Amino acid sequence: MRILIADDSRVMRQIVSRTLRQAGYDGHELVEVADGKQLYDAATAQPPDLVLSDWNMPEMNGLEALVAIRAAGIEVPFGFVTTEGTPEMRKKAEDAGAMFLITKPFTAESFRDVLDPILR
Amino acid sequence: MTVQHRPNTEELLSIAEMVWASYLDPAGEHPLEVDPVPGPGVTDVVANVAISGAWDGRVLLSFSPLAAKRAAGALLGVEEAEQVGDADVVDAVGELVNIIGGGVKSLMPQPTVLSLPAVSHGAFPELGGEVCRLTGTWNGEPVSVAVHEVAVYVGVSRTGETSQ
Repeated sequence: MRILIADDSRVMRQIVSRTLRQAGYDGHELVEVADGKQLYDAATAQPPDLVLSDWNMPEMNGLEALVAIRAAGIEVPFGFVTTEGTPEMRKKAEDAGAMFLITKPFTAESFRDVLDPILR
Repeated sequence: MTVQHRPNTEELLSIAEMVWASYLDPAGEHPLEVDPVPGPGVTDVVANVAISGAWDGRVLLSFSPLAAKRAAGALLGVEEAEQVGDADVVDAVGELVNIIGGGVKSLMPQPTVLSLPAVSHGAFPELGGEVCRLTGTWNGEPVSVAVHEVAVYVGVSRTGETSQ
């Protein structure tokens, strides 16, 4: 599967990639992008099988990118990996079409809880 | 009168310990050792993130240069902290304050918005309005975390009650 990882922090993109491996998801193609605009561009150019996106990013935030991706007719499974874990943010994410929201700091187990149905 | 919750030291410690357990000390070998009484903020690599909306504040995280390199090394999975470049140090410390800021944000009334983190080198800013501070050491190197409340207008309602 092709997994798009969007975060403005290179360090966090590496942590997400490492956590995917620790959670047992080896052998997937991981593509990294650094903001919501790049996420939108990458997702529309070649729709991935899964998006893991930060919320707060420059240019276009993760929520705006999700709305734009859905408006482009792309129904890729989309999850947030973010510090934004309040009920209000979860509702916003869900209303925009996100499948899940993983809160930072996260563990390999929290990845497995939401990703097993998609990646296994 | 509306009494608004303010983040306290115990809550800040709980958030910091979660960050240490997840990223900086997953093996439980080098925990954050907190001073019983907070000392001055650490001067050098200072990261901050602003929270604005129903509550306005700022979260600051600072490390000594070596602690900052070690933090970046831990996040990147690099054992030799000396191999970590300055850009990754700034990125890592900014991400850590972002995560701590998200934890503080979740304690406060909503809606609020978290800013992107900013990282600088220099003195720990004495901003005023500090509501809690942790200082201590990690692996023998100084670390500090603080939460500041941005001054808000305090008025008196027509019924004589003080409100914010």
